[in-house]
Amino acid sequence: MPARPWGRLLAAALIVVIGLTAGWEVYWRSKMFIPGDYKNTQALWAQERRKAVGDATVMIGSSRIFFDIDLDLWEEASGVRPVMLALEGTSPRLFLKDLADDENFHGLVIVGVTAPVFFTQDGGLRADVLDYYKKETPSQRADHWLSGPLERTFAFLDEQTRPNIQMITAPLPLREGMQPLFYPRKLSISAADRNTEMWERVMADERYREEAKEQWTLILQRFAPPPSADGSPPPPFPQEAIDAVIAEVKGNVDRIRARGGDVAFMRLPYDGLFAVAEDNGFPRERFWDALLAATDSAGVSFHDYPELQGYEIPEWSHLAPREAERYTRAVTPIFYAKLKEKNAERAAR
Amino acid sequence: MAERTAGAESGLAKIVRSAKSGGLIPGRGSLLLFNSLTFVVFFAAVVALHSMPLPWRVKKFNLLVASYLFYAAWNPPFVLLLLISTAVDWKAAQWIHRSTTEGRRRLFLILSLATNLGILGYFKYGGFLLDNFTMLMKSLGVAYQAPEWSIVLPVGISFYTFQTMAYSLDVYLRRAAPTKSLLDFSLFVSFFPQLVAGPIVRPSQLVPQFAEPKQATPPQFYWGLALMTIGLFEKVVLADAFLAPAADGAFGATGGLHPLDAWTGVLAFSGQIFFDFSGYSTTAIGAALCLGFALPNNFLYPYAAIGFSDFWRRWHISLSTWLRDYLYIPLGGNKKGRLRTYANLMITMLLGGLWHGANWTFVVWGGLHGLYLAAERFFRELFGPNRGWYNNIVFKLAMALLTYFLVNITWVFFRSQTFAQAKTMLASMFGMAAEPEKVLYWNDIAPALVVVAGMVATHWALRSTTMEYVIEKTPRWIVGAVWAFMLFMLVITQGSDSAFIYFQF
Repeated sequence: MPARPWGRLLAAALIVVIGLTAGWEVYWRSKMFIPGDYKNTQALWAQERRKAVGDATVMIGSSRIFFDIDLDLWEEASGVRPVMLALEGTSPRLFLKDLADDENFHGLVIVGVTAPVFFTQDGGLRADVLDYYKKETPSQRADHWLSGPLERTFAFLDEQTRPNIQMITAPLPLREGMQPLFYPRKLSISAADRNTEMWERVMADERYREEAKEQWTLILQRFAPPPSADGSPPPPFPQEAIDAVIAEVKGNVDRIRARGGDVAFMRLPYDGLFAVAEDNGFPRERFWDALLAATDSAGVSFHDYPELQGYEIPEWSHLAPREAERYTRAVTPIFYAKLKEKNAERAAR
Repeated sequence: MAERTAGAESGLAKIVRSAKSGGLIPGRGSLLLFNSLTFVVFFAAVVALHSMPLPWRVKKFNLLVASYLFYAAWNPPFVLLLLISTAVDWKAAQWIHRSTTEGRRRLFLILSLATNLGILGYFKYGGFLLDNFTMLMKSLGVAYQAPEWSIVLPVGISFYTFQTMAYSLDVYLRRAAPTKSLLDFSLFVSFFPQLVAGPIVRPSQLVPQFAEPKQATPPQFYWGLALMTIGLFEKVVLADAFLAPAADGAFGATGGLHPLDAWTGVLAFSGQIFFDFSGYSTTAIGAALCLGFALPNNFLYPYAAIGFSDFWRRWHISLSTWLRDYLYIPLGGNKKGRLRTYANLMITMLLGGLWHGANWTFVVWGGLHGLYLAAERFFRELFGPNRGWYNNIVFKLAMALLTYFLVNITWVFFRSQTFAQAKTMLASMFGMAAEPEKVLYWNDIAPALVVVAGMVATHWALRSTTMEYVIEKTPRWIVGAVWAFMLFMLVITQGSDSAFIYFQF
């Protein structure tokens, strides 16, 4: 063991670290990071998944329903607080199946449909969360539990502040022949129960917002490729693939209904290049209308209601925070009315 | 593994993997990791309990319970495996010691080995054996459908089974008498700092330490904390944050790579595996020291090794000495003629490779090291022992670089999932890949190469000294500043997302 005044060295090091950490915290708060914004971890999702039992109302989907529905206002309008299980870039079909497999669940599932993600063949960005949920270990649960108070206190604990993430996203020159990296920056903030909204910085920082759009532009080329050089359109999504997805969804919907539960669908607003890509690549009659018809389900698409249109969508895909509040207030009564109407229709048959 | 792609894209799957490997997806390792909040709380509680004025026997019992809790935090039922290993080797060693005939001694040794290797074989190699059996049957024209094999691999199983086997073997080989205390022996098997990824401790190194009350002195405790800081910095900051993206990006690619990408990936992996494993060992040594116990060093600047016998004196020392003492020497070592020496070397390294994982790629990794060791031995015998140019600095430097180069070739097999992947990677490294693709960004390449260059330079600089000596000679303000820097980097990197690579072995 080296002969050094280790006690004094440790004390000095700790003082320096506390000072540096305080400076780090101030710096990231100046960049609009806030304490109490919970990391959207697998453990947080698993914590909410454990609430999805009995007759709970559960929201699944990808990022639009995740960002655009304010759970407090939904509860205020309907008297029901949904469990939020939507995950960005991930097909809700995985979670619909999971809920259908769960004999303890007989509640209402509200499925947010973003067609390119919903119909994806590989589950999407966070598909491994289910595996985590099923295999979560005691230490993982303890880590999540201990992390909560720290996340309530420190803003710098956000994933995006990490030096390695800063390195990955640093604007270094591209190597010849490479495309820019698809790596979406932070877009949202979440409460302890995954009630989520768009991050204020997306609104306030024009450069940041433009970066978000640049990222979407990268991925949209893959969702709905542009016409080829000779002007011919890209090949359409194969009908067999659509039919297979819809058949799978119908099977899971039927199983939930057989236990007394129900499933309904929602399409939330988008704009800009998303509108071009989704509306051209995923026409509603082949996807949305076919899905509702085959599953005999209630569905609310923003296209169909003037009061669900005209909202501010800063980066083409998610509503601004105050717009999400306004949207939630508008959509909740429409949704329940549609659900009631559909139930009555089914009962009349 | 994850991949980040940039050329022609083939769908959402690629993009998904891209984002994952870049660290976009928050996730956590499944164990009670050293780099987790839970471990901080757990360790603080253990240290506090160990510092209380309690009888030594009670303190040891506390450590034993803590060790079982540590293991149970991953998967509680698997504590049973620890208990089985402990009970069988405890009794087997006693029976071996009491037996009066060689036949009975051998019988009880076989009981110990069969139990430990049986556990290891079932959990770690069962699927591998079944796959190979199926392939063999197929090659013989027999239609055999193997049942599905989905057994969870208990973490650290290779470490603690080797540790307990060493106990029975020591008693059998009359190197040591059985320990008198079941509590001490149980603690030896399960001592939490080194339970899941070593160092693989010998009974003679640890059991005697449990005999007398142990309490870290304040300087030992602080030095232990400093070692834990260094170890965690290696793992969280260097391995996970700055090297893993390049290694994962290159090895996650499905096709041929541009030589810069291939070399960056392999060099980054050489750093990642070192910092990951050395980081675990250093943290384990520090944690044990905080409780007043000494664990053996496991790494000694291996990338400054000149030749492969030197490399294996510096890399995973506790495994290489275990293999030497319990495999190579019992096989006859170098005492049974030249041919047999080479054969013993190869057998030892091939099994050493298989120890790392149930895949032929690991066997080839071990086989390459065996070949390197054999070649080195051959040339040493050819040129004689005391040539003047052996000590020439240019020669030493050239040999060190050659050693590092050849070690990197072996890492390709270690890291690749299949031989096809290894072949593609090797072809890519030497500019022979068809349609080479660029998959790494400067954002991955720059930090990886800087860290690797720093690592190799540091190993070379410290090759003939120790970290302890360097720290003692360094002005204290620099020591304090470096400690503060590492702690601060740990705080802001917040790494608790990935398990140590060696947990899987």
